[in-house]
Amino acid sequence: MTTSMKLSPPITLSDASASPLSLSPEPELPPQAWYVRFWRRPFFLIVILPSLIVALYFYAIAAPQYVSEARFVVSSRGSDGGAAAAMRGMAGASAFGGLGGGMASSETNSVRDFLSSLDAVMDANAKLDLIALWRRPEADFLAQLWDTEPELLTRFYNRMVTVSLDPSTNVTTLHVRSFRPEDSKALAETLLASAESLVNRLSERSRNETLRVARQEMDIAEQRVQESRTALVQFREQEQELDSAGAVQAAVVLRGQLEAALAQSRAELTERLKFMRPDNPALQVTRNRIEALERQIVAERTRHTETTVGGGGAVLARQLASYERLMLEREFADKQLASATASLETARLEAQRQQIFLSRIVEPNLAVYPLYPRRFVNVASILVGLAIAYGIGWLLVVGMREHAG
Amino acid sequence: MNGQGEVALVLRGARLQLRVIGALIIREMHTRFGRHYMGYIWLYFEPLLLGVCIGLIHAWRDRPTAFGPFEFHAVGYILFFVFRGILNRATMAIKMNQALLYHRSVTLPDVFFARHMIEFLSCTGVMLAMLFGLFAVNGSLPESPLKMAFAMIMMALFSQGLAFLAAALTAAIEGSERLVHAVTYLLLPASGLFFLVEWLPEWLAQIALWIPMVHIFELLRDGQFGSRFRAEYDLAYVIGWIMITHLIGLAALRITRARVGLE
Repeated sequence: MTTSMKLSPPITLSDASASPLSLSPEPELPPQAWYVRFWRRPFFLIVILPSLIVALYFYAIAAPQYVSEARFVVSSRGSDGGAAAAMRGMAGASAFGGLGGGMASSETNSVRDFLSSLDAVMDANAKLDLIALWRRPEADFLAQLWDTEPELLTRFYNRMVTVSLDPSTNVTTLHVRSFRPEDSKALAETLLASAESLVNRLSERSRNETLRVARQEMDIAEQRVQESRTALVQFREQEQELDSAGAVQAAVVLRGQLEAALAQSRAELTERLKFMRPDNPALQVTRNRIEALERQIVAERTRHTETTVGGGGAVLARQLASYERLMLEREFADKQLASATASLETARLEAQRQQIFLSRIVEPNLAVYPLYPRRFVNVASILVGLAIAYGIGWLLVVGMREHAG
Repeated sequence: MNGQGEVALVLRGARLQLRVIGALIIREMHTRFGRHYMGYIWLYFEPLLLGVCIGLIHAWRDRPTAFGPFEFHAVGYILFFVFRGILNRATMAIKMNQALLYHRSVTLPDVFFARHMIEFLSCTGVMLAMLFGLFAVNGSLPESPLKMAFAMIMMALFSQGLAFLAAALTAAIEGSERLVHAVTYLLLPASGLFFLVEWLPEWLAQIALWIPMVHIFELLRDGQFGSRFRAEYDLAYVIGWIMITHLIGLAALRITRARVGLE
């Protein structure tokens, strides 16, 4: 303070030009006291000085940071743009009703979430050594990476890498900052690659899931067909009958013929009795035939409808029931197999359509001019913020002083 | 040497100001509610009753959401009540307390600080009671009470800045208190009391996020339901609003004080 008073040039200048005025030293003091008093004022200490320090840091010390930007779209062939837009409109309409709905497709959201996760950081760290990347010698001490624990590294990573999603266009923007242009580009490339592999994994998974269910259905149907065939073969072997339905048909025909023959024989007997004596031996032949036929009919009926006392021999009625059940089972199994085959085919088509893929719109660029740190914006916002805070503080302090004064 | 004297003066002033504010709080309570015991109960009963009614109306009318409409609206309304109570009373504050200003130790901001303290404390008490009631009835606890308390403080400060401005405006322009009342009503649907930013379509969400109260409501809901939705708020934006309204408001009150003193 005292040195500045001695060194001030106006004294000598005014001394030389107008000596009568410079006789008294008092008028010379105020111009010196002006800036001395200024930097002792609270406004300078609270507002100007911190802003100057911040400005000094940003303009003299802070290392330039280079940005590499990439844009991509995660799209699936399954849900085309029209459907997604309709869904978005629906979500918007139901917003006031209280039903929340994701605006972008779930795949896009999961890619965004993945890119800001610890998983992505570890992935990139294994490929690219992030710690060295953010601790380059040219990095300044404030902006460089301080802590290397995975969680803190992730926090730092999320400051330097931003992933933003524009819900109206579905375009995701990846924004990577580091101290060298090549580093930014390499990191952006690595992150895009791991996002792509995530999308491929998701796609593979959903495709396999779709096919798996259909294949399972197919297996079940095949199993059923096999079982029904085996059961049928077993039945045929056991019953020694190829076609129970045919056998029944044959039995019915046989019985009809027997009944017809019996009726005819009875008619013949009645007719002959008209002109023959009852004890005529010719009648005996007819009587014998009728008797034989009746016995035959009874035997046939017993064979087909009643269980034998011994239990071993199956009766045609029961045989027919199980035969028909088996045939029905075979028919159903065949139909199931046919439908399972059809749905497997559909699922295969569906899976082909369900591919999710990440298409790059803007490839990561190699920065030439460092966009960060934003010197002017930072310094100006600190200056304005401190000035407003000072203003409020001043008003409050004046209010307090009023009470004491 | 001079600086130290100055600091001592300001500290003495601050202590005196606190005592003045304390006295003003007691006076305000007496003038507003009389000297009955029941009077004070109204202080808590009014926001509680309104909050419960709004909650019940929505619980009855709304489709059920992930949050439960009662919790959503009843607790949200208490936060809105801080805003409404502070801003609506601000227009009458100068007129009602003009006589006090003849005392040298009472300044214009003291009157406001005292009133705002009453509103803030009563609403915080009601909020606590309501959260406790909700816990007792269906066992739901807020996920981060700290965030909810922070939202209450933010809302009180934001309303305080606006209240300074509203009071200065009323003193400057006769009849403008009607405008202030109209604005508080119009801000009710836009305040974030009835919606989450997440529910809005994109273009509307962008507009809603210009309103500082929407950010405060998002902070409250983040504290209340946190993990059940994605909150979207920027506290720096809200603090910016608080600072600017306080700066302009306190300056405007100084100008108003000079005008009021002349009458």
